[in-house]
Amino acid sequence: MSDPTKGGAYGTPAGDTDFRKTWDLEEYAARGKEREAKEREESKARYEAKLAGRKYHIPLTGNESLASARRTALDVSSQVGKTQLVPAGAGQGRRGRGAGFYCEACDLTYKDNKQFVEHMNSPQHLAATGQKMEVERASAGEVRARVEYWWEQRLELEREQAVSLQERLELRREENEREAAEKRRKRREVEERKRAEREAAEKVKTEYGEDVRIEGEHDEDDMMASLGFTGFGTSKNKT
Amino acid sequence: MKSGRTVYANESRFLDERGTASELAPNGENPAKIMEKAVIGRIVDSQFYQYQCFALNEAGIVDRVVNDVHFIGGTYGAAQKPTPFLCLAFKLLQLAPADDVLEVYLGHGGERFKYLRALACFYIRMTRRPADVYRLLEPYLADRRKLRRKTRQGTSLTYMDEFVDDLLTKTRVCATSFRELPRRTDLVDLGELEERESPLGDIDELLEEEDERDQAEEEARQANGDDERSEGEIDGGRDGDGGEDRMDVDRRSRSRSRSPGRRERGETPDRSKS
Ligand SMILES: [Zn+2]
Repeated sequence: MSDPTKGGAYGTPAGDTDFRKTWDLEEYAARGKEREAKEREESKARYEAKLAGRKYHIPLTGNESLASARRTALDVSSQVGKTQLVPAGAGQGRRGRGAGFYCEACDLTYKDNKQFVEHMNSPQHLAATGQKMEVERASAGEVRARVEYWWEQRLELEREQAVSLQERLELRREENEREAAEKRRKRREVEERKRAEREAAEKVKTEYGEDVRIEGEHDEDDMMASLGFTGFGTSKNKT
Repeated sequence: MKSGRTVYANESRFLDERGTASELAPNGENPAKIMEKAVIGRIVDSQFYQYQCFALNEAGIVDRVVNDVHFIGGTYGAAQKPTPFLCLAFKLLQLAPADDVLEVYLGHGGERFKYLRALACFYIRMTRRPADVYRLLEPYLADRRKLRRKTRQGTSLTYMDEFVDDLLTKTRVCATSFRELPRRTDLVDLGELEERESPLGDIDELLEEEDERDQAEEEARQANGDDERSEGEIDGGRDGDGGEDRMDVDRRSRSRSRSPGRRERGETPDRSKS
């Protein structure tokens, strides 16, 4: 069915992937040229700025979003102590994925977290991620709202702590009650046993005296046994 | 003062621009040169600054103070590490927040989060005109909340009022040198401290009544015989006249009882510094 000259695994002509490859290469070449031109332009501007005694700032395209502050620390600790697979040929300079802290957006690898953070804060990285080196100011109202937010958070935390304290106290109270009930039960048990012993002793005395077996004596024994009291020197053991 | 809608995410442009007239602080200082160069170097090199201070705006300052500032100070330890407090003060120098924002830091925010007030006071001392420094900071001589302070020697305990007093009387606080403040009496003579310009201006009116009220308060204080301190975040009343009034009462009774003559009063002519 398939034509061996075409080489497609499922009869699909491989030409379609060939086409993609060509297209990719063309695009890469075009992008490369574009980047080179941009870099040349940039280094020229950089040089001119240096001559003028000023720092060069990358011009904005107008499509960038404003930078925003991190709410949490950069998650670099997650990479500490992990073995990373490093592609062969990596480790030459920063370009590409290598051992260390890798920035996906810029395809750069940094040896340590300090260099990495410096990169994350760099105009180069922000440009690569479509952000400006600028932050929007906050108004007094926004600042006030932020204060309120944190104050609410703090109050909420305090409420939670109070609730958990309340819960702990409640739990402790229930536990204490259970323990007290258990003690009461044991005390009653002991009293019950002593009473039964006393009564049994009385009975033995009377039985010895009359030497008569009383009807229902065994019923009582059965009842005692069912309550877990056996062998308290009843007449059965003595006779 | 800067009034643009945006501000740069890092310090490079701030330090690069040598301070054009429009960017000078209200007291005429170049904000990029208020802190010492070596100190700025330590700040921008510090992990806290790089991780947590990038792209902060005025609201982000609140986030960071609430979560990360647990003591005041300049640099600490043998390594002279800059405190988060100092890093954020440096960030404020870049942001140059507007007066109404500073008011929130001092008042509404400062009541709830004491280190926010401490930071704002420090920033105001660095950038504001002497008369404004007195006017904005003096109310907090009544704030008795505890503050931790870290220095090269270690951690110590201080109070908001003592910190504010340092800001008003000393020329070096938290690794930062200030120009000496003119005496309060001189500012009054110049008429700079008589006008009620500040939203916290009630203090002036209250100061005028000071002599009449002193006697009664002194008696009240002695009757109470206490000097309780609040550890909580809220001290004194909520913002508004009532709260400030109470704070002022506290301030005077306390400054008399604990350190008489420690500070110059506007009404006292020519009391020289100790
Ligand atoms: Zn990057």
